[in-house]
Amino acid sequence: MIKKSIILPAVICLLILVIIAMNTVYSVPTYAPPKEVIWTKPESKIGIAHTEIFGMLERPQVIFDHKKHAEALVKEGKKEWETCNACHPVDEGNALIFDFPKKVVKKEKDSVMNAYHDQCISCHKEKVQEGKKSGPVICADCHKEDHKNVKVKYPVAEFDFAHHDKHVKNKKLKEDCSLCHHTYDAEEPDETLRLVYEQGTEESCYYCHDTEKKRGPELAPIVRVTAKKGLTIRKASHLQCLNCHVEFAKKAKKDEKAGPVECSKCHTGEYKTISELAKVPQPDRNQPEKTLIDIENARMKGVGFNHSSHEKYNRTCRGCHHETLKACKECHGITGTPEGNMVNVADAYHNVVSEHSCSGCHGIKKSEKECAGCHHNIAPVDIETMNPKKETCARCHTGKKERIPILPLSVAGLDPEKVKKEVTVKILENEFEPSKFPHLDIIKKLVKISNDSKLATYFHTKMQTICDGCHHRSKAEAEAKKDTPPFCRNCHPVAYDPEKLNKTKLLSAYHRQCLGCHEMMDLEKGRKCSECHKEKKEPKSITSIKNFELPTRLLEKFGWTPVTN
Amino acid sequence: MDRRTFLKTIGVGLAGAAGGTLLTPHPSKAQVVFDGMEFSGILVDTTRCIGCRRCEKACAEVNNLPVPNISETANEAVFKKMRKTTDIQYTVTNLYETEKGNFFVPWRCMHCNQPGCRSACLVYAMQKRTTGHVTWDTNCMGCRLCMLSCPFDIPKFEYQEAIPRIQKCNLCFGRFNKGKVPGCVEACPTEALMFGTRRKLLEEGKRRIAQNPGKYVHHIYGEYEVGGTSHLYLSAVPFQQIGLRTDLGAVAYPVYSLVYLTAIPFIATLTPLFMLGIARAVRMRKEREEKEEKGKEEKEKHK
Repeated sequence: MIKKSIILPAVICLLILVIIAMNTVYSVPTYAPPKEVIWTKPESKIGIAHTEIFGMLERPQVIFDHKKHAEALVKEGKKEWETCNACHPVDEGNALIFDFPKKVVKKEKDSVMNAYHDQCISCHKEKVQEGKKSGPVICADCHKEDHKNVKVKYPVAEFDFAHHDKHVKNKKLKEDCSLCHHTYDAEEPDETLRLVYEQGTEESCYYCHDTEKKRGPELAPIVRVTAKKGLTIRKASHLQCLNCHVEFAKKAKKDEKAGPVECSKCHTGEYKTISELAKVPQPDRNQPEKTLIDIENARMKGVGFNHSSHEKYNRTCRGCHHETLKACKECHGITGTPEGNMVNVADAYHNVVSEHSCSGCHGIKKSEKECAGCHHNIAPVDIETMNPKKETCARCHTGKKERIPILPLSVAGLDPEKVKKEVTVKILENEFEPSKFPHLDIIKKLVKISNDSKLATYFHTKMQTICDGCHHRSKAEAEAKKDTPPFCRNCHPVAYDPEKLNKTKLLSAYHRQCLGCHEMMDLEKGRKCSECHKEKKEPKSITSIKNFELPTRLLEKFGWTPVTN
Repeated sequence: MDRRTFLKTIGVGLAGAAGGTLLTPHPSKAQVVFDGMEFSGILVDTTRCIGCRRCEKACAEVNNLPVPNISETANEAVFKKMRKTTDIQYTVTNLYETEKGNFFVPWRCMHCNQPGCRSACLVYAMQKRTTGHVTWDTNCMGCRLCMLSCPFDIPKFEYQEAIPRIQKCNLCFGRFNKGKVPGCVEACPTEALMFGTRRKLLEEGKRRIAQNPGKYVHHIYGEYEVGGTSHLYLSAVPFQQIGLRTDLGAVAYPVYSLVYLTAIPFIATLTPLFMLGIARAVRMRKEREEKEEKGKEEKEKHK
């Protein structure tokens, strides 16, 4: 009896330990997931997988060639616009709904699968009976094994302002904006009359049909309705664009052309750049050309804003007007309101991380190649910055509608005594000849970059601003009085101090300032050692810079006592 | 089995399992201070390294090794292949091409907080100094166990020499005692290498990660690896992409052999005693049985 009571717990203990051990060994994933092949230019092919309903697929996805099917129907004698309703359903108003399959009883595994199989296979069988060339009816002919790891990534069809302009100028459309634009009146009791058009309120489709974004209290009820009806931006634009194109094709006479119906005509994958779009006329929505942004009861003076020149730097109006095409101050008050997502007006203009604010967008500009050389070192100024210079704020807050005329910068006024043409640096004189730094040439180049950019010209008011790019923390006023040039060594020590690791040494300051700027500006020049350093004939030891010893006070502090043996 | 025994067995089983997990070695905490002295170390910021190889030249000068040619043309040829440290190169820089661009990565002894080489050394020729340096001494007997035990493949043996030694970076222990920073750190023109106390270096590394959002991977290599090292790395790309091992875990290498080595004295002394005990018990039982049998036989005889 005694023996039994010992053996049983021992065995169980051992078993548990074995299970723990096996768990740790076998819980490590051993398989590598197969590599995905992404088709970025699928032309007219669509991947049908519905992983949101099916989850893990039992059979590989079907890659459906839309163009092939449409062409097959055209060959039967149908016109291009007649082919759609062969597969896609039509609503009461005879408008096409671009859904497939025609009828899904319930958004659930079996019914979706059956709907697809019924519609595809029955049509294929019909064609066979009619004696025509037909598609597959056997599983593996559609669910091809080699499509298992393919991911079809459709390029988006971007409706830019060039397209908009084309539609506006089309005489057949008779400048009727209501053909596309509408808004939803949720308070109207009659449901059929809720879609209304009001001139002067046209906005982007995205505001209501982008159901993924969270909107403010004004738009939220409308977005809720679009989400409920499933009118995502994808579905809405197919409904609106394609139906109109089909309608026009129906009525078109022989030599007239209607809009495209084929997938790849709109989903080209080629987008216009911002500079190309700048030449396209902007839609007229009664926006002012110039305006004074003046907030009532604000502490700061108003800001003169040239709307038309800012339009050219954005792809869409949504770049700044993120929720409606209203002026910023209508939602963002001096104190936050629910309409403005509790963001007050000061933050709305000055938030450095937002893409919709002035400071944020200018910050993005400053990270471009030309500007980043200096600006990657300069922290952005926002309303939280302690003691910003008065002139920094006054640059925008002028209180006038017109912008102050600015003269471009020029190197002519520089004192050649103070601003040296060339600076020699001797810090590595043990190994190399002194390096020559073309001080004035660099200033000239930076001035040219600044004058070429409209944004930089406005904000770089003095030559001092250019100097600050490299002499980043020099106190210009104090130095002017003392008449000492802003040497790097004034702040950057030669000696090594392990207690102040974030204080850059002089040797490192030179290299990182020069190389960092050349790297950020993507310059090919000045990236190799030999471009600055000419080797000496008899170089001395590499480790013999003066004053390069650890301070004794530190040795004591860290308890570092020398060991003699 | 009744309810009582069932619960008892489960309880004992769970206790056994818990005891088992408790007895297995746990990652020891990274040390920064030992015996009142701060561990010193080097912080390598791989985003700053420009691949000039001045650290290699300085290292050679300081340690009286053959001085490499670090002209630009020579560097180009050198960076074409991956190098490892040798008995005449205590530090090497390699070029790694990654998704975020090219990175130069200097490579030398990691100076682990609890070095595997030190615990493997039979004669204590490898030493972990209280200031963080891992150094080699001349009382080495040449068994090369340190080379086997190092997860970073750092100690190198002078196979060509008549009286071979183990060679590796010693964080310029000699220069340190004269109050100087390591040669490589002094020569670095961009402060990609920084020398200081391990505590300060970790602080500085974390400051850089925090102040440059998006620039660095949010981890300092060497903070926890193999129980912490004195040679630390900052990187913009995952560490395996710049040739650093990420499969080492946070357990110091000596810990792996700790349980085994502590057990040996007990087993060596207790096993004979235990066996003797069993032998004695068995013998006693046999004697008792024999006695009983004899008694029985005698009784039968008496009958």
